Amino acid sequence: MSIEVKNVNKRFGDFVALDDVSVSLPTGQLTALLGPSGGGKSTLLRIIAGLDSADSGSISIEGTEATHLPPQKRNIGFVFQHYAAFKHMSVAKNVAFGLEIRKRPKPEIERKVAELLDLVHLSQFANRLPAQLSGGQRQRMALARALAVEPTVLLLDEPFGALDAKVRKELRDWLRRLHDEVHVTTVFVTHDQEEALEVADEIVVINQGRVEQVGTPDQLYDAPANDFVMSFLGDVTTLGGELIRPHDIEVDVVPGEPGAIEGSVSRVLRIGFEVRLTVLTDEGEVVTVELTRTNARRLGIAEGSRVYLSAVRGATRV
Amino acid sequence: MANHSAAVGRRSPALTWGLRILVVGYLLMLVLWPSWYVVQHTFADGLTGIQTALQDPDVQHALLLTAQVSVLAVLINLVFGVGVSLLLVRYDFPGRRALSALIDLPLSVSPVVVGLALVLVYNGRYGWFGPWLEAHGIQIIFSWPGMVMATCFVALPLIVREVVPVLEELGDDQEQAARSLGASGWQTFSRITVPGIRWAIVYGVVLSLARSLGEFGAVKVVAGNVAGETQTATVLVQQKYQNFEQTTAYSVSFLLAFAAVLCLIVVALLRPKASKESP
Amino acid sequence: MIWFSVLVLIPLAAIVVKASGGGWHTYADTFSNSQTLDAIKLTVGTSLLVTALNMVMGTIIAWVLVRDRFPGKALLDLVIDIPFALPTIVAGLVLLSLYGADSPLGLHFANTRSAVFLAIAFVTLPFVVRTVQPVLEEMETDVEDAAASLGASRAVTFRRIVLPTLVPAIFAGASLSFARGISEYGSLVLLSGNLPHHTEVTSVRVMSYLEGGNTAAAASVATILLVVALLAIVALDVIARRVARRDGRDG
Repeated sequence: MSIEVKNVNKRFGDFVALDDVSVSLPTGQLTALLGPSGGGKSTLLRIIAGLDSADSGSISIEGTEATHLPPQKRNIGFVFQHYAAFKHMSVAKNVAFGLEIRKRPKPEIERKVAELLDLVHLSQFANRLPAQLSGGQRQRMALARALAVEPTVLLLDEPFGALDAKVRKELRDWLRRLHDEVHVTTVFVTHDQEEALEVADEIVVINQGRVEQVGTPDQLYDAPANDFVMSFLGDVTTLGGELIRPHDIEVDVVPGEPGAIEGSVSRVLRIGFEVRLTVLTDEGEVVTVELTRTNARRLGIAEGSRVYLSAVRGATRV
Repeated sequence: MANHSAAVGRRSPALTWGLRILVVGYLLMLVLWPSWYVVQHTFADGLTGIQTALQDPDVQHALLLTAQVSVLAVLINLVFGVGVSLLLVRYDFPGRRALSALIDLPLSVSPVVVGLALVLVYNGRYGWFGPWLEAHGIQIIFSWPGMVMATCFVALPLIVREVVPVLEELGDDQEQAARSLGASGWQTFSRITVPGIRWAIVYGVVLSLARSLGEFGAVKVVAGNVAGETQTATVLVQQKYQNFEQTTAYSVSFLLAFAAVLCLIVVALLRPKASKESP
Repeated sequence: MIWFSVLVLIPLAAIVVKASGGGWHTYADTFSNSQTLDAIKLTVGTSLLVTALNMVMGTIIAWVLVRDRFPGKALLDLVIDIPFALPTIVAGLVLLSLYGADSPLGLHFANTRSAVFLAIAFVTLPFVVRTVQPVLEEMETDVEDAAASLGASRAVTFRRIVLPTLVPAIFAGASLSFARGISEYGSLVLLSGNLPHHTEVTSVRVMSYLEGGNTAAAASVATILLVVALLAIVALDVIARRVARRDGRDG
């Protein structure tokens, strides 16, 4: 196991940021720490990096006990949400920094920097200052800088949080492809479930300082361990007191299934090929149902229609 | 964002304490301890030192004169300072940058040079405008107008430097809105602009006051140091000390220092309130 | 609004007047006066030394004020401003009480060159501190964390990351400190003894010329002071930009 976190606790005054967190992050894998803001994921990442210290518990990286090691000695690469670019140095100098610290010979540094700038497609900006780059470019520079020292682990703290939607998507794909090429153990923090689902090999869901579930994107989506994971990773609605995905609900205009719940349609929204129904059940539940347009038309559903709702066979329910 | 790196191994207690001791030690030896001694000298015989000093008619006159000159200078600088700030921030004109640089000039000029400059222009006998003004009954040098001018000069930048950044940050959106609603220039100024910059004005005024009370070199040159007539408190301190009336010198110094520190405390106390109010 | 600018120009014109009040031969005479020359050397030399000290101490003080936390720190902040607000003559008395003839520490600096150094150090204390402080406050610790994650020790981080950012502010403060230093008058009047050729500073020299009725000489010395101040400000600006450039552009 590449990174072992054991029984880590961290408080800030009265606020408990991490509550007895233990998790193992495999070597060579791209793992996401996913959760709502303030949930503790950034804190955990920073503790792994050594940029914050845990109150108790231990961290080991590639078998080495790292709990009391300063960040300089952990051989990590860290990418910050707001880039943390060295503003007074050129892009090339930024990337070269870690190598210069390690007193590598100049020709080696030049070669590595050129290689990395090529990898992140910033070769033509080598002599520019960070202020002259766009946000996305600055983040790519930050990545190159972190990779230059050949870290054991690459840690990214909401790396695309400060960028606009389009750039975020581009960089997301790009990070995935980069990882496939370079294969360094990578951990990144995000609050965007779409990002985690798209990019990560494995996701650790963290909420209120605790690990809710660890698993692949499919596992988390199809077999959520609890309410929180289910609602965080996708749309949910309540049917018969249980959480269920709106597209997993079968709608009929005649009472067919035993146990089907009766209600009437209070609102019909057409969005592209999807139709979203808001149904008020006789028991007073408000249920959101998603179905295809074709289906809706076939059933002849309109506002006020009486409908009978039941779960699709094999639907995920919590 | 946090201003203190929390990384593992980041804080070396030895270095932290070393720096603290260095700084505190330096400030102690340079400022605190000597200042404490002035207080000690002043109150060496309890309050009698100050009482005797206050009974000296020269002292009374000097303190009164200092107060009058300072208040007048501060008022003039207030009007002028706010005006110039508005001019610099809201209007564009050739030479604006030069003006801005010139406003800072008084901070770098020796007070004696200030006094000299004023004397050369306004001296009754050989100045540029001096003879003309005196022929019309206006005496600048060796009289209070000169002292007010000298004090104005040295404290000139203080209000401007406080008000300009605030004016820039405020932007003129609100003023434009007011004008679009029909407010006249004066109404816009008094109801919109002034409330926005009022804390900056207060700091500027207080700092100006401290500076004006303390002015020494320029005033000495311009006023001629005639005891009981054109001697300000600061000039009095020098004279008393050199005449071996040291207790009086220390007492008056203490009063001046006390006023200056009071100004600093007022500003320090008001700053947090101001930042709570800012947009 | 235009009339406001006229009000500014009157005193400023006075300075120009003073400058022309000299005449060329007066400059030559003034320069050849050895007492004046010594005063200028003393003033400029001491101010340079004090400025160098301030650049170091000022940065350290600003660092402690921004980065450290301990009870009474706010008081220290206030203390820094005292030299700025205190009347200069009082500053002289203040220093005299600890370092003068009656010094309890046995440090008798009055009437020595050390007194000149001391007084100038006192009045210029706030300048570098106050220009560096806001820059330090604005600095995010992200970049320092980044440097640490890349392997830089604290010393290297300070030297290569923090200091370059502070350089412009340090030099700006140094300009102010130097200009203030060479202009100082009030605190030196009592403390330095104004011994000709030894502890007499330039402003005192101007004063004696004035009191002696020699306004032309006074004006020429004053001009020299202004020119020196201007040169220093320009030089420091150039140096600051040179230093900042060195770290950035290669590679």
